[in-house]
Amino acid sequence: MLRIESVSKRFRSGNYGVRDVSFHANAGVLGLLGPNGAGKSTLMQMIATVTKPTAGRIFFRDTDITANPDPLRRRLGYLPQDFGVYENLTAFEFLSYFAALKGVRSRAKIQQMLELVNLHSVSGRAVGGFSGGMKQRLGIAQALINDPELVIVDEPTAGLDPEERIRFRNVLVGLGEERLVILSTHIVSDVESIATQIAIMKSGSLAALATPEQLLKQTGTVTLEAAFLRVVNSGTPVAQAVA
Amino acid sequence: MSERLHRLAAIVRADFLIRLRRPSTIVVFLLLSAIPYLWIPNPSTGRALMQIGGKRALYNSATIGMATATLAAMFIGLTGFYVISNALKRDVLSRCGYVIASTTMRGSEYLIGKFAGNVVFLSVFTAGFMTTAMAMVLVRGEAPLEPWIFAKQYLMLAPPAIAFVSAIAIVFEATPLLRTKLGDVLYFFVWIGVMGGVTAMLEQGAGTNWAPFFDISGFGVLLQQMRTFYGTNSLSIGSTTFDAAKGTMDFAGLHATPYWIATRVTATLWPVALLGVARLFFHRFDPARVRAVPNEKTRRSWIGRLNLISKPVARLFVTALRPFSGSPAVTDALATIAAFPLIAVAAIVLAVFTLAADTANDLFTGILPVAFAACAIAIADISSREKRAGTTALVFAAPGLRARFVWWKFGSTVLVALAFLAVPLASAIASRPHLAVALLTGVAFTAAASTALGILSSNPKTFIVGFLSFWYIAIQDKGLSPGLDFAGWFGTATPAVIATYAAIGAASLVLAQLFHANELRRRW
Repeated sequence: MLRIESVSKRFRSGNYGVRDVSFHANAGVLGLLGPNGAGKSTLMQMIATVTKPTAGRIFFRDTDITANPDPLRRRLGYLPQDFGVYENLTAFEFLSYFAALKGVRSRAKIQQMLELVNLHSVSGRAVGGFSGGMKQRLGIAQALINDPELVIVDEPTAGLDPEERIRFRNVLVGLGEERLVILSTHIVSDVESIATQIAIMKSGSLAALATPEQLLKQTGTVTLEAAFLRVVNSGTPVAQAVA
Repeated sequence: MSERLHRLAAIVRADFLIRLRRPSTIVVFLLLSAIPYLWIPNPSTGRALMQIGGKRALYNSATIGMATATLAAMFIGLTGFYVISNALKRDVLSRCGYVIASTTMRGSEYLIGKFAGNVVFLSVFTAGFMTTAMAMVLVRGEAPLEPWIFAKQYLMLAPPAIAFVSAIAIVFEATPLLRTKLGDVLYFFVWIGVMGGVTAMLEQGAGTNWAPFFDISGFGVLLQQMRTFYGTNSLSIGSTTFDAAKGTMDFAGLHATPYWIATRVTATLWPVALLGVARLFFHRFDPARVRAVPNEKTRRSWIGRLNLISKPVARLFVTALRPFSGSPAVTDALATIAAFPLIAVAAIVLAVFTLAADTANDLFTGILPVAFAACAIAIADISSREKRAGTTALVFAAPGLRARFVWWKFGSTVLVALAFLAVPLASAIASRPHLAVALLTGVAFTAAASTALGILSSNPKTFIVGFLSFWYIAIQDKGLSPGLDFAGWFGTATPAVIATYAAIGAASLVLAQLFHANELRRRW
């Protein structure tokens, strides 16, 4: 479904955000883990066609999205990190706006999304008065409004309370049955129960890519958190450590 | 409706609602709507709104409509830009732009949507202003209200200004160098140049074949119509004294013949081409080209670099003033200088110019006005920055600041203004001590207006645009109207004028305090 070939992103400063990353992923939940500054958001921005790689290519259903992004954009749901809202709009108006940008006109669909993220009872309220968690849920709703085949969510559980996190995880599991969900986080517990694959990034490079079980086995650890720390803190090339 | 039109409509609707519900929009609208009531004099006082060829124009729908429409065109040019120039920035800072960039929407489509959003908002804003101005025909009119005649003056004058400002705002927001605070200042001079350039040409009879098609403000068209239809070059709009012996004139309004309509339609359409320039520079929210942080905070923006370079100077400045710290206001003032080091550099540049000034006249009518304008920009965001940065709760946790926030911010603003203007003010007071009270009242009035408007609108632009517009009128007046000499630059401010500005400053602070107390009750 998604194939990434030797993708790099080099900034004008000369620094690499992402360096020579390659992998492929099919339907399921891909947990993208990494410490702050590892390049997770830059990689997701490239997959979401917000920025172009300086080298390499990205394919979605065999279409090179770096050259022809529109086929993916029609089937993409993206929630950026630290997503903000238009404070003076109501939740319904806000979601209607993004629905229109994505070519969705059905009011019923908007209501359905508001119900999915449990905001239907406050749909007429200005989002400026929402809590951080409510704003985040609204962001999730906009990402899912066009029934995407590829869902990219960057640190989506930041600001959510435990109940909301569980609810959100369940939503992602449901989505991951038929489509590819890429979930970026540095909180390991967010992905350990739902990810079908784990990718760990370190200093712009892909340090590991495996199923949770394989990762535990290859790192000789019993928890995903320990595996993550071992990969991230490993002095040797980590790809070898988990190979 | 096609998908593309549906998206455009969604952008226009969202932008309109976001702006309409903004407190600063309401503040600006109320301030502007009050102006016709203050601006249109009762003829029994010996002053008139409009004179053509020396004759007082009777207060009918055409006269009041045309006069207020010229005022509206000026406001659109000056105020409108600052009110609407956040359409792209909002999407950058909220990161909604990343989502927009991940849709199939083209960059040009997005820019056209934002342009249309600007046009719709300014048109509705102007229509609201026109409606309140219409009431003046009922209040001071010497003829019955004719709504169509009234509206026709607006239709002839306002659309080019609306289209130009809507497009240039997008250009400024899309262009790296222009989307900074400097762009806000630069625009002011762009508008003055565009407005004044064509008008001056037509006034001198140059370019009469083509210049009307580029007349954004409509002032050139006014002059040409006066010459063509009334045989005079003399047109005065604004409260001026008149000679009753010369009689009155029943003004019929602007002529809307096919030629004049063609000039206005062309002047409305060509600014749309500016969107091509915006498209050239538009980043499409690519994080490699635009950062989701305020521009002056990015190290790679030129203003960010200047700030970095200026830091050693600011450190010296702050170190020199640190012995005076102790009160929260001084600490906040020092933090302002430390956070925006260019303030220190600008203060030093002003000091050098002051010391190099040949005469006191150069200082009073040249350096001081410029220094006040620069100072206004430096102090504009002091009272609204906590709200914009989301650190209000942090500040309110400090002892006493929650209740005394307005006075704290006023104190801090006054201190920054005094530090900024220290050398020009000291030099001015030393050379003309009798103007000391007027000068210091001017500083206090400016600081109070900045504090109050920042708190009322949560936005520094409301003050910047209000102050720069007022400043421009005061500079153009050159002290002829004592009431406009708010800081004593021209030496014509009477004690009553000084007292009035002091009272306005105090009243605005009281208003801000009432607003703040209400906010505390509602939200905190």
